[in-house]
Amino acid sequence: MTAAIEPQGRRPRRLTAGRIGVYMFLVTAALFFLLPLWIMVMTSLKPMEEIRLGNILSLPAAMTFDAWSKAWSSACTGLECNGISVGFWNSVRILIPSVILSIIAGAINGYALSFWRVKGANVLFGVLLLGAFIPYQVFLYPLVRIFSLTGIYNSLLCIVLVHVIFGLPTMTLLFRNYYAGLPIELFKAARIDGGGFWSIFLRVILPMSTPILVVATILQVTGIWNDFIFGLTFAGRENLPMTVQLNNIVHSTQGERAYNVDMAATMLAALVPLVIYFVSGRWFVRGIAAGAVKG
Amino acid sequence: MATLPIRASSIGAADTGARRRIRARLPAAFALLPTALIVLVVYIGCMIWTVRLSFTSSTLLPKFDWVGMAQYNRLFLNDRFLTSAENIVIFGVLFISGCLIIGFLMAVFIDQNVRGEGLFRTVFLYPYSMSFVVTGVAWQWFLNPGLGLQKLVRDMGFESFTFDWLVNQKMAIYTIVIAGLWHGAGLTMAILLAGLRGVDADLWKAAKVDGIPTWRVYTSVILPLLRPMVITATVLLATGVVKLYDLVVAMTLGGPGIATEVPAKFVMDHLFERNNIALGTAAATIMLITVVIVLAPWVYARYVRPQGRPA
Amino acid sequence: MSLKTRVSAYTLSIALVWSSGAFAQQMKAEVLHWWTSAGESAAVRVFADQFTKSGGTWVDNAIAGGVNARAAGVNRIVGGNPPTMTQFNTGKQFDELVDADLLRDLDAQAKAGKWSEIMPKLIVDAVTREGKVYAVPVNIHGQNWMFYNTKVFADAGVEPPKTFPELLQAGEKLKAKGIIPLALGGQPTWERNLFNAVLVGHGGPDLFRKINGARDQSAAKSPQFKEVVEIYGKMRGLVDQGSPGRNWNDAASLVITGKAGMHFNGDWAKGEFIAAGQTAGKEYGCALVGASGGKLIIGGDVFVFPATKDKGQLATQDKLVEVLLDPTTQLEFNKKKGSIPVRMDVDVSSMDACAQKSSAVLKDSANQVEAQELISTPNFTGAMQDAITQYWNNPNMTADTFIEKVSAAMRDAS
Repeated sequence: MTAAIEPQGRRPRRLTAGRIGVYMFLVTAALFFLLPLWIMVMTSLKPMEEIRLGNILSLPAAMTFDAWSKAWSSACTGLECNGISVGFWNSVRILIPSVILSIIAGAINGYALSFWRVKGANVLFGVLLLGAFIPYQVFLYPLVRIFSLTGIYNSLLCIVLVHVIFGLPTMTLLFRNYYAGLPIELFKAARIDGGGFWSIFLRVILPMSTPILVVATILQVTGIWNDFIFGLTFAGRENLPMTVQLNNIVHSTQGERAYNVDMAATMLAALVPLVIYFVSGRWFVRGIAAGAVKG
Repeated sequence: MATLPIRASSIGAADTGARRRIRARLPAAFALLPTALIVLVVYIGCMIWTVRLSFTSSTLLPKFDWVGMAQYNRLFLNDRFLTSAENIVIFGVLFISGCLIIGFLMAVFIDQNVRGEGLFRTVFLYPYSMSFVVTGVAWQWFLNPGLGLQKLVRDMGFESFTFDWLVNQKMAIYTIVIAGLWHGAGLTMAILLAGLRGVDADLWKAAKVDGIPTWRVYTSVILPLLRPMVITATVLLATGVVKLYDLVVAMTLGGPGIATEVPAKFVMDHLFERNNIALGTAAATIMLITVVIVLAPWVYARYVRPQGRPA
Repeated sequence: MSLKTRVSAYTLSIALVWSSGAFAQQMKAEVLHWWTSAGESAAVRVFADQFTKSGGTWVDNAIAGGVNARAAGVNRIVGGNPPTMTQFNTGKQFDELVDADLLRDLDAQAKAGKWSEIMPKLIVDAVTREGKVYAVPVNIHGQNWMFYNTKVFADAGVEPPKTFPELLQAGEKLKAKGIIPLALGGQPTWERNLFNAVLVGHGGPDLFRKINGARDQSAAKSPQFKEVVEIYGKMRGLVDQGSPGRNWNDAASLVITGKAGMHFNGDWAKGEFIAAGQTAGKEYGCALVGASGGKLIIGGDVFVFPATKDKGQLATQDKLVEVLLDPTTQLEFNKKKGSIPVRMDVDVSSMDACAQKSSAVLKDSANQVEAQELISTPNFTGAMQDAITQYWNNPNMTADTFIEKVSAAMRDAS
């Protein structure tokens, strides 16, 4: 895979003005992006007495990792005080099938929509796109009724289905528009070779989809991992995702707040998507699509 | 627009050709069937349900009486709803254009064969991974005049420095834009970077041979090629704009006063907190109609009319 | 024994075994609530432990944020899969569930427990619909306490104010010393809470009820109400610039650290002082501001019991009602929660100074004022809140413009 990387332009040997400019831009942007993280990390390492003083940017005078261990395993989330670790595996169990199924659904839809002419397909897509603009919360109540009629309300199946349904518009859009940029000649050639709907998809189109699969994974992993309202409403008590515990720690109307634990819990909860971002970067390389084209 | 290879078949074979074409397309139609069902039952069904409820007097639980336009009359007299509508336009324009510009720049600069690409990419993308409930608090503290930036600069000796956007009714909406850019620009970068990496390497070679400066290649050659990805990003960002809620709740709760209220928050507050489903669904219906009016011509022209591949 | 009788005897014994098994199993209570912070968690543990001691199994389902928890509860009830009991605030939030016959009527339990004798009348009224009781109140929260930093007041030579005009003067003195007079969590809920404190303190309980409960247009136009609005308007000058958007916890921190003098909030705010190691009556004090010693706005939390035909669940619910209102449980729970027992016959001498003050004030029913959510629909409360937050945050808005908005809210909100 690394062999496919083809550096753009010449490999600069010296730092030219242009190169300095590039790094200046990137570093400045990175600083802006890291600023809230700095505040969060510093806060998570301070005891509450120090946080009350309000020096949000300063280094901790008495550094402590208490908040992190508390957030993971002993912060109160109701009667139980076991931190956010409780829902971790539930989240994983929801995440994996939901991400895989919604990406498969999006890829097939996108492929069918951009290479095959099916009557009414574009109207279908138009409505689906509009659906993406409605706040989810409006759907909650009727969906509860629909799912309790079918008898799968409050189950793992139910929550996975909900994620697939609400992932459809963006996933379909993503793949459709990506495939629209692929050369049509490839598809034509495959048709002449006698390829059918599925064989062209699996042998020709899917291998060229890596960059967009990465984007789709980033989108879905983040969205599903961080989902709170669907999990709460449809997963059932046995399957509540980690975000419910996270919310129980950080969100309180009348309770006292431990900001250090809040911040640590938020960063811990974000670890899974962060790892996915970092790892998926390996596939963010140039030349995959082009390489496949030349077969 | 696509021309399928079978087009070339002779007139004599047209009949069997057409039949074969239909048979070949059958799996495609089957593949789209589940989506069609979901669109019909969930999306269209729920839209109808929402619109219907907006003509009722439902409060905590839905009921199906009929009060005509009463909720809409209330809605358009409600100054909070009107402020929300205005805010979402300001936010939408600045957020989408900002994310696209910053996202594109970041993608291009990262594409310059820089050291630590993975690190930069993750740094730009990490805000997207974090729940806003708490990152919102971090922003709130930083923008608070007594705690964050203003205090910092004043402590450095610039006593007259003022940065009070968060607590200033006229400027507070722009702080929501700043935090929104921080959250969304990384994703835009990822999408555009995926597009950039999909561009045929031969194009680059050809451009280099012709001696075209790199920035010209990006603006005149690459950008038009990225069009589908730019559209994807724009639509994704736009759905985020319409659904904008968490960010506002985490940072300002709609304040100071009602200065940063947004439509989705209006809907949510009325549906869940104020036991006023009817007014909430009326607001949701107005949002839906607005989206349809704004998007329908574009969706129609781009996706529905041309039976085939969009540009 | 014929085959037939044998079979039926067998079925019967199976049924017996099954139902007793089910009974033991169904002393299992799933409880949906929104108490999730460390202090709240300790409080709910009192209930759970007590229930476990009396042979039950407590299945805890905590969802932070009243709005989220209530929505989840309503969805579960409507979806036909309700928890054994679920939390609401004392007041009108569950009206429609009663109308739709989705809640169990607890009249028998209320009569047997003599609720109307041991609880404040307005709390019992708040859980009664058309003569029948539908919820169990578990605590009383006073909502309009003024918390103050005793050292800051002593250093500035200021006495804790007894009335709102006095408070304005005291505020100016604190300001002159470089202290933030009033720490406010600048979010709509707390701005409304402050407004209600002024309304009841300066305007009196009658005006409070006419505005929030009866939606009396003439009360809104009265000079008395205008005076309240003007005093509230002047209080804008007592908060610091950073107030808008702030969490109440951060506002309380300002008083704890001595950066600010006063903070208006419900008695739950004690939790933040306790977490900082401070004691009521020492580092901080609590007082009611208003004419004739001040009135206390009271609300609190209740549990409702979704209707069920399952005998096991009914028995479990009966047991829960008993546990929730047991005098010792009440005392222990409320010590941890920061509220006071809903039973006025509980001895509170072991509670903190602020709780004792609450209890003493409430002994006289003339001092009890119902919280806004007891007399106003969530929708009207919300509409008032929209008007209040606009007035508070816009120094240029006149009292008259605000009164217009209040009058419009009275007219339009359902």
